[in-house]
Amino acid sequence: MDQKRTAIVAEIPHMRRYARALLRDRDSADDLVQDSLERAFSRLDHWREGDSPRRWLFTIMHHLFIDHIRRDHRRRAAAEVPIEAAHGVATPPAQLERLQSREVLDALHAIAPERRAALVLVALEGFSYAEAANTLGIPTGTLMSRISRGREDLRARLDDATRRRSIRVVET
Amino acid sequence: MTVRPFTDHDIHLSLDGELPAEEREEFEAWLDRSPDKKALRDRYADDREKLRLALAGVIDEELPDRLARFGRERPTPPRSWSWRTVAAGIVLFAAGSGLGYLAGAYSPSPTGGGAAQIAARAIEAHVIYSAEKLHVVEVGADQKDHLVGWLSKRVGTTLVAPDFSASGYELVGGRLLPADSRAAAMFIYQDAAGARISLYVARDSGAPDTGFKLREELGACALYWLDGGYGYAVTATNMSGDTLRALAGSAYQQLLAAQRG
Repeated sequence: MDQKRTAIVAEIPHMRRYARALLRDRDSADDLVQDSLERAFSRLDHWREGDSPRRWLFTIMHHLFIDHIRRDHRRRAAAEVPIEAAHGVATPPAQLERLQSREVLDALHAIAPERRAALVLVALEGFSYAEAANTLGIPTGTLMSRISRGREDLRARLDDATRRRSIRVVET
Repeated sequence: MTVRPFTDHDIHLSLDGELPAEEREEFEAWLDRSPDKKALRDRYADDREKLRLALAGVIDEELPDRLARFGRERPTPPRSWSWRTVAAGIVLFAAGSGLGYLAGAYSPSPTGGGAAQIAARAIEAHVIYSAEKLHVVEVGADQKDHLVGWLSKRVGTTLVAPDFSASGYELVGGRLLPADSRAAAMFIYQDAAGARISLYVARDSGAPDTGFKLREELGACALYWLDGGYGYAVTATNMSGDTLRALAGSAYQQLLAAQRG
């Protein structure tokens, strides 16, 4: 029991990273982690010995994330508008790095949640296709198409951000 | 070997480490023949790297109390990844190991100086290469003697690839890296769960020897030290202070033994 708790607690930093990839807002992301931990501790006997704690916890997170998306769906009828980033011609290197991070996160959160989840599990968390498909409860073929579309979407959004940035520079 | 026609689909398989090993060579050759496909693969790889860097820092953030409490509802708090606890531990290690001169040099946020630069480079290299699935190292552990000889020669000092198997880490291989127009060496290790650590070594003449210092950046932590004109760093992500300290201590002793031997 105590071993199980230790194993789960050791996963919290990874759960937070996955949550932040799924949800832009830090508090909402930590809400998701907290809800997932509460559910995990109330169902410890559902976790079979030998199973990876991370996969089990991420499966719980995914279910709660889907609930969250469904709840939120109506409230978010309007399209998400990425935060306008740069505000000047000269951007110092340190700020440029933060700007890049912000752009890539904005782009990630602008793509469809199910594509985002598939892409993040494999590209960021290093899950195999089989593990990710299992965690998300979808066939491998569906997972693969979500990943490739997710990558395409991310690339297109990042290109938009770059274009917007250069237009601003020209205008200023 | 029969060459099957590759498509964009294979670009995703390759990026995700799902392309069968026996097809990788042919796939790379296909990319070499199709510059636009190669550009697409590189672009996707670049986007992924940006994503990793943007989220790398989350792993080492201090937990908000509402999450930290899950770890406190047991007799001893398990928040071993909290780097606040490392300071005391390093001093204890130094005192207990007989390496008296290592004592005390904990610095939570080093700024400037050659040693800090070594650590920054080590972390950068760790973040970039330890995330690689397919091309982690240039020379694999199966050619360990060649690897160690080659890197020793290029870096200019007697190196060993320390044995970390007692801690569960096996050598994956190594790389040669540039550092101020000179050569730096990197050895990469992996445990059974796929977690990776690295040892980075670069020449740093002129700087005085230091004790162990800690730097955390980009979601990774490095324990580093300067010794005899060379800088060394052991870097990991999401590792307890105790474990990282033990690994760095072990690396230090094995390198010292080799250089005296």
